[in-house]
Amino acid sequence: MNTHARSTISRRSLLKASAGVALFSGLGLPRIARAAKAGELATLIDLSLCDGCAQLDQPACVQACRERSVPRVPEPVDPIPPLKPRGKIEDWSKRQAVRDRLTPYTWLFVQEVHLTHAGQTRTIHIPRRCMHCDNPACATICPFTANHKHRNGAVVIDPGLCFGGAKCRTVCPWGIPQRQSGVGIYLDIMPTLAGNGVMFKCDLCHDRLMEGQTPLCMEACPRQAMLIGKRDTIYAEAQSRAQRMDGYLYGAKENGGTSTLYVSPVPFDALDAALETGAGRPHLEDVRRRMQATDGLARGVLGAPVIGLVAGLFLSLAGRGAASREEDENHG
Amino acid sequence: MGEPICEDINRVRRHGSLELFEHWSIALSGLILLFTGLFELPIAQRYYITELPGLAWSGDFIVALKIHYLASIVFVAAAFFHVVYHGLKGETGLIPQRGDLQQSLLVLKSFFSQAEEPPFEKYLPEQRLAYLGMALIIAGLIVSGLIKTFKNVYAPQLDLTLTLWATWVHNIFFALFFLAFIAHMVAIVIRPNRPLVRAIFTGYVRLDYARERHPLWMAHLAPPEAGRPSLAAAPGEVAESPESPEAEPPCAPKDEGPPGEPT
Repeated sequence: MNTHARSTISRRSLLKASAGVALFSGLGLPRIARAAKAGELATLIDLSLCDGCAQLDQPACVQACRERSVPRVPEPVDPIPPLKPRGKIEDWSKRQAVRDRLTPYTWLFVQEVHLTHAGQTRTIHIPRRCMHCDNPACATICPFTANHKHRNGAVVIDPGLCFGGAKCRTVCPWGIPQRQSGVGIYLDIMPTLAGNGVMFKCDLCHDRLMEGQTPLCMEACPRQAMLIGKRDTIYAEAQSRAQRMDGYLYGAKENGGTSTLYVSPVPFDALDAALETGAGRPHLEDVRRRMQATDGLARGVLGAPVIGLVAGLFLSLAGRGAASREEDENHG
Repeated sequence: MGEPICEDINRVRRHGSLELFEHWSIALSGLILLFTGLFELPIAQRYYITELPGLAWSGDFIVALKIHYLASIVFVAAAFFHVVYHGLKGETGLIPQRGDLQQSLLVLKSFFSQAEEPPFEKYLPEQRLAYLGMALIIAGLIVSGLIKTFKNVYAPQLDLTLTLWATWVHNIFFALFFLAFIAHMVAIVIRPNRPLVRAIFTGYVRLDYARERHPLWMAHLAPPEAGRPSLAAAPGEVAESPESPEAEPPCAPKDEGPPGEPT
């Protein structure tokens, strides 16, 4: 089990945090910061504030998200072509109402955890969606660039380019993207031999962000448990909140850093131990960025032109020198 | 430069050791890149490739990427070396010349008819055209691959349009590279070209073959001597070598200068 150290606050981060607090409180900004059109954004999810909207049929954030996500999944063809030579068809179209895990129709759901911490029994609600990682393998190694991290930090799948191979889900440490078979461009190419639908996940309401609006889930949250804003500001605010509640952070270092910071009064390893995890139900482990293991070799690739250039120069000049000496000797 | 003709064993040196090294570096790393590039698609599990002996790793995208990167280092370095080294030495025998397209059609026609081939330089006209095609494909793969690699490490938020271009150029040129590889294999099994296969392993071809099919190249190497007995077979055929093909050429170049194009 991975453990998460209590957030350590350096002098620099304290200054940043102070600046963030000043920005949020002193300048009287609303608790939900309006997303900027330009610049990198980050989001904050404060688990001390989220109560899972106990008074509602479903959490307000989930309902708002589904109003966006459900219409975005096309009706699959019937029957969905079988996959050859093997492969599993994933059809959620008859189970669109499922809200206790991520599905192609549910891009955000709330995990409820009951645990005892520091002698106190607590219930923690954890909104779960894509973390929008800083260097997301799901996007960088998508073979068709159907998945891309935009400059504002949102990692967005283009359903018009996605073949539903689920490579993004395989390399995502939380297994976030979910597949709907029987939809997408693979149907127009070789539906039984290649592809298997389209992957769906939270896109941080990218189109709304581009118009300067906030994501729907944040707009709908009655307790302002979620914030979005400039990355530095959100990071500072998260540090500040964690310090104030003597709490913990998740998402700042996980998978090499993300654009989603959870702040919790309870350690994340304790939350993870109490979570029901599995397909569509992400864990809260301390995950490392697996692609980091390839970075050294990638730098070697970027240096390879120099290796070739230098070797070519050296050997051709050495050859000229040898030929010149031979000529001198012959004439001498 | 030493004389590359070995009359006593009926051999002529076609490629230096450095050229062989370049060719095989590109060829072997290119093959590895083809396969590991394929394994970046989610096909290894689906098509049972992971169940083949020694290929369990093919279903792991990160492991396949590591091997892809390793092969890329060799591939990219060899390609840049090739351009710089031969460019600086002024070796342009593989650059297409005026009329190569027309000549290539004549050569292709001769493969399927009784028509005679025209006399050749060291390289066949279609070889020069194929070289240009392969060079363009490799250039496209390298440029797009470098952009993708840079994005993977330093710039995950690289401009979407540039990323899409790099990705699709890489994918399309991957398919072209595969087709070019198949065409290359077809070219070496065509009967008149078969004697050239030896050269890419040993550096040498049969002297009688070279005199018969590449007289323009041979004229550069050694002007014909009056009254020299001809080893050439009848036009359109290739005489068999008098000795075993496995025999190691005893006049392996000892006094040659820096390896390179002998022309």
